Parts: sequence; structure tokens; C-alpha cells
Amino acid sequence: MRAKLSEKQQKALNLFDSKLNGKFITHLNSCVHCGLCGESCHYYLATKDERFMPARKVDLVGSIYRRYHTFAGRFLPKLVGARDLNDETIEEMVDVLFGACTMCGRCSVHCSIGVDVPFLVRTARSMLVEMDLVPKGLQSTVDAAINTGNNMGIPRDEFVDTLEWLEEDLQMEVEDDNAEIPRDQKGKKIMYTLNPREPKFFPLSISAMAKIYYAAKESWTISTNTYDVTNYSYYSGDNEGARELTDRLCKEMKHLGTETLVLAECGHGSRAIRWEGPNWIEKKYPFTVITVIEVIADYIRSGRIKLDPSKNTQLITLHDPCNLVRAGGIVEEQRFILKNAVENFIEMTPNRENNYCCGGGGGQLAMSEYNERRVDSGRIKADQIRATGAKIVATPCHNCIDQLMGLNIDYKLGVEINTIGEIVANALVLD
Amino acid sequence: MFTIYQWIFLGGFAICLISCLIQFFKVILSGLPKDFSHPLGKTLPAIFYSFTGAMSPTKKETAYLHLPTYMAGIIFHVGTFLGFFYLIILFFNIQLPEWLDYSSAIFLIISAICGLSILIKRMLVSKLRNLSNPDDYISNILVTGFHILLAATILNNQILAVLLIYSTLLFLYLPIGKLRHTIYFFTSRIHLGFFYGWRGVWPIRKHNI
Repeated sequence: MRAKLSEKQQKALNLFDSKLNGKFITHLNSCVHCGLCGESCHYYLATKDERFMPARKVDLVGSIYRRYHTFAGRFLPKLVGARDLNDETIEEMVDVLFGACTMCGRCSVHCSIGVDVPFLVRTARSMLVEMDLVPKGLQSTVDAAINTGNNMGIPRDEFVDTLEWLEEDLQMEVEDDNAEIPRDQKGKKIMYTLNPREPKFFPLSISAMAKIYYAAKESWTISTNTYDVTNYSYYSGDNEGARELTDRLCKEMKHLGTETLVLAECGHGSRAIRWEGPNWIEKKYPFTVITVIEVIADYIRSGRIKLDPSKNTQLITLHDPCNLVRAGGIVEEQRFILKNAVENFIEMTPNRENNYCCGGGGGQLAMSEYNERRVDSGRIKADQIRATGAKIVATPCHNCIDQLMGLNIDYKLGVEINTIGEIVANALVLD
Repeated sequence: MFTIYQWIFLGGFAICLISCLIQFFKVILSGLPKDFSHPLGKTLPAIFYSFTGAMSPTKKETAYLHLPTYMAGIIFHVGTFLGFFYLIILFFNIQLPEWLDYSSAIFLIISAICGLSILIKRMLVSKLRNLSNPDDYISNILVTGFHILLAATILNNQILAVLLIYSTLLFLYLPIGKLRHTIYFFTSRIHLGFFYGWRGVWPIRKHNI
């Protein structure tokens, strides 16, 4: 006999049912409980907590499917490990699927069968959205983006002020009074987005990109209304919110009449806007979307900017953001850039699509209730960094930067964390 | 003319086949996901890679970190496919060379040992035990038993009726438990290949920069 569902639980189950297409059914039915995936997950590796094994996460979502959609699960639930969507199951879902998964996808690449674990986890998170069970910090980040236009709630005036003094700094640095950080200019080729953490905490990364655009003589602008590259609704599982934020960017692109949307160094933002966004709004973008990493690589290839690697002499390693690399296909461009911009480069092991998550993805940085786990899970990345002997860690993702800066302190790594843009700007040769 | 055991077997097999086909076509007919994003790579080579390179022990961490288990799993699955082939041979009483019968029986015994070792590992290792449900054990025992019984039948045709009844049970269980991964393994690899191919991650590009 199945337990009676509350109104919210029924709503969550209805959402689950509405997602049952071929892909979802496939991944719900594929796991064979071989348990070999544990060692692919930084949470399990760092904590050895069995609940954090990817197979357990898959089983948690799969058990609901089996209970409500399979013959054996309906009539012999214990035989196949089918579970009611009750308070106990839901509590475990919140704790494990929000609190112990960054949806990095490393387990999927190495899964014996090929189960798309992040896809299942995100769908389950969407169920939790229906029950208003998104952890507070993550929900407030989503709310800030929806209500204020950026996830840090930066007032527009404050943002404009920041851009103005950064522009003055740029003019002094390049000794050109005409150098600018264009704001809300129509008809430019590029609309450049930012992670709101940049104007708030890391304005130098904006300066770095402005310098690169200046050197490349790029036609670009920043919207002071809609500039946020992040989309935390992707992490929370809130499809409505995700659609709304995507739609705003599309409208701003149209308003400014720009032809290319350039995504700042942000892993999940790149994934959300480039790969998921068109599916949330259910149509193709009428403009090109490209990451700033591809833009910089193109400037170097085409000779639009010149770099002097001798300006970056320290040993530099690269952290691959999961959403940009494994789930975004930007694998070699950042390596091409670094090999042109620095003298000494060393890879982490493993790297590229096999990289370990730093632990900052999945909305973890916004969920303070899981801080301890997040830092613990970052030990794998800290060990990787230490093994390289590098003095600088470059990474094209602001979430990763935040997490790596924390790991740098917690694990006493003694490194500097930089964006790719900052390293390139430092190596720029201005005519 | 078929015996009563053969008819029972055929009935069980038909139920299994129809059930599996329904599940398979349910997934296939829903098609690959409609993706509105602009692709960065090609999906067909990626799907091919998903079934080949991506499964290789040189690429797959779950394989190279757990090589004995991985190899046992491979042998176990090869034994199962060989078993289905031999089931047809025995059902239709087709005579094969004696050396082939003997070597197949030996292979089936080895694959049964592999199945058994995976089962024992599941029982002994805490993280696997806690992950498992009765279906995991039943599925393994049913298939391992199938290998053993088949090897015995190849060596002694007198117990064919027992094999047919046992296989009927196996076929009836297949669509309801985790043995369904017979179907979903293939669709899973296709979906994964499509995902990584569309985004230009698979096939892995040469590191030529």
C-alpha cells in the first residue's frame, strides 16, 4: 500500500511524471548497483561516506520511479528497493542531492553503464523546488537574481560607479584617454556578461578583460541592466526561474542590437546560458553565444593581441571547471591561451574531462549549511594542486575561484588563484 | 514436435521478448532529446565512441581502478551471451563439434565463477551490501545458475528439461528486475554519447595544442 501524499508531495511527483521521456526513463533504469562509481566522486573519496556514492544518489531517485512506475515496485517494493515519496525519502534527497553533489558529472563519464547522474540529480532538485525545499542560501541567491537582476543584489548605480572608476584606471594604465568600458551602447558586436562577484569583490578581473578588449580593438559593451552570467536556478532546479533569467538576456541582446553574447569566466553560467538556456525558452537563440575563453584564444590565433610569456614566469597550473569542460566542450582553448601567455605551465592529474570538481559547483558555495562537507570534498583538488608544485592556479570560473581561494587557506596551499583573463592581461604587449 | 517443456520455455521467452520490446520502443519512440542549443560537435561519432573508446579500460576509471571486477563482469556478460546462443543450439538440438561443446562448457563454468565472485563481493563489501536490494542478489544468482546449468546440459543433454524450465524463470524475471539493463544499457550509452557529442566533449580530441 503506497503512502498518501501531501499536496506538495503530489505536486513534486506530478513534476517527476511530466519529465518521464526516453532519456529520463533510460537513466532511471540503467544503474546496476556495481558500486564502482564511488572512486569517481570527490565527496565519496574525501569522506568515504557511502551515502555520497553516485550510485546511491541514482538509487534514491530511481527508487521513487520504481515505486510509482514499475510492476515490481508497486507490488513488491522491498524486492527492488522502491521507496515512497515520504518525509524520510525527501529528507535524504535534500541532504544528499543538494548537500553532497556538485553535479560535476565525473561519475557519468566513468559509469560502467553511462548513467547521466547530474541529469537525475537536477530533476530530483526540481521536485524539491515544487516542495519549497531548496536550501535557504541557494534559494536567496536565485531570488536576488530574479528580483534585482543580479545574484548579489548590486544596485545599478553602484555597478555603474564601479565601471566608471575601472574605466579611469584603464585609461591611466594604457595611457589612452579614449580607452573605455562601454556601457549600454547599441549596435556593438559583443555584449559581455559578468559574474556579479566581479564588480563586488574582484573588479580587477573586469579591468583585465577591458584591457584585452582594448588591445584587440573589439567592438563591445556591457549592459548595466542585464549583465549577470550566472543562473543559480540551474543549480536549484527551478526551471521557471532559469527560463526567466535566460529570457532577460535574450531581450537585452535584442534591445542593444548586439550579435554575439560573450560569457564571462563562469562554468555554470556558460553551461546554463549556452547549453541549457535555449531548452528552457524552447527556441534557438537568434544570436551567437560564445565563451570569453574562445574569444581570447581567437584573438591570439588571429594576431589581434600579442602576448609576452616572460611577463608570467611562475609555474602555473590549470583547474578545469566541470561545467565549462566536461559539460561544455571547452577543453583545449584555455591550454592554448596559457601556453601562449606563461613561461611555465604544468597540468594537474587527472585533467580535462577527467578533472576532479573543486567542490564549489552545484550551488555549494551558496549553501552554508553544507560548508564543512564542501571544504572536506575539496581535499581531492587541494592534493592535486599541491602535487603540481605550482605557484599560481588559473581557472576560468568564478565559482571555482571562490572555492579554490578557500581551499588555499584551509589546506595551506600557498598559491595564488587567477582568472585566465588576468593572466592574459598581465602578458599583453600593447602597441 | 515440441515437448511440453519447450512450449513452456517458448511462452516464457515470448512474454520476456514482448515486455522488453515494449520497454525498448517506449524509449526509442520518444526519440533523442530535442536540443535547441547550437551544437559544438558531432553526435554520431560520439555515440560510436560511447560504445567503444569510452568503455575501454584505458579510459574508464571504473575499469582501470577495479580491473579484476571489471574483467569478471566482462567475462560474466560474455558467458551470458554465449549462454543465449547455446540455448538456441540445445533447443533445436543442433549438433556442434565436440571440442566446441567442451570449450563452451568450460567457458561457462569460468563465467559462472566470475558471477559468483561478483556476488560474494556484493555480500562482503559494506558499501555494496548497503547499496543492494534483494533484486541485485536474485538477478546475479539467476544468471550464474543459468551458466552452471547450461554448462551441465552441454555435457549431459538429459537435463535439458530442467534447463528449459530454469531459463523460463529467468526470462520471466528479466523484464521486472535489474536485468532490464539488457535493454537500457544500449539506450543509456546512446543518450550519453549524444550529450557529450553535441557539446563537443566526445570523441576525445587529440591534445595537439
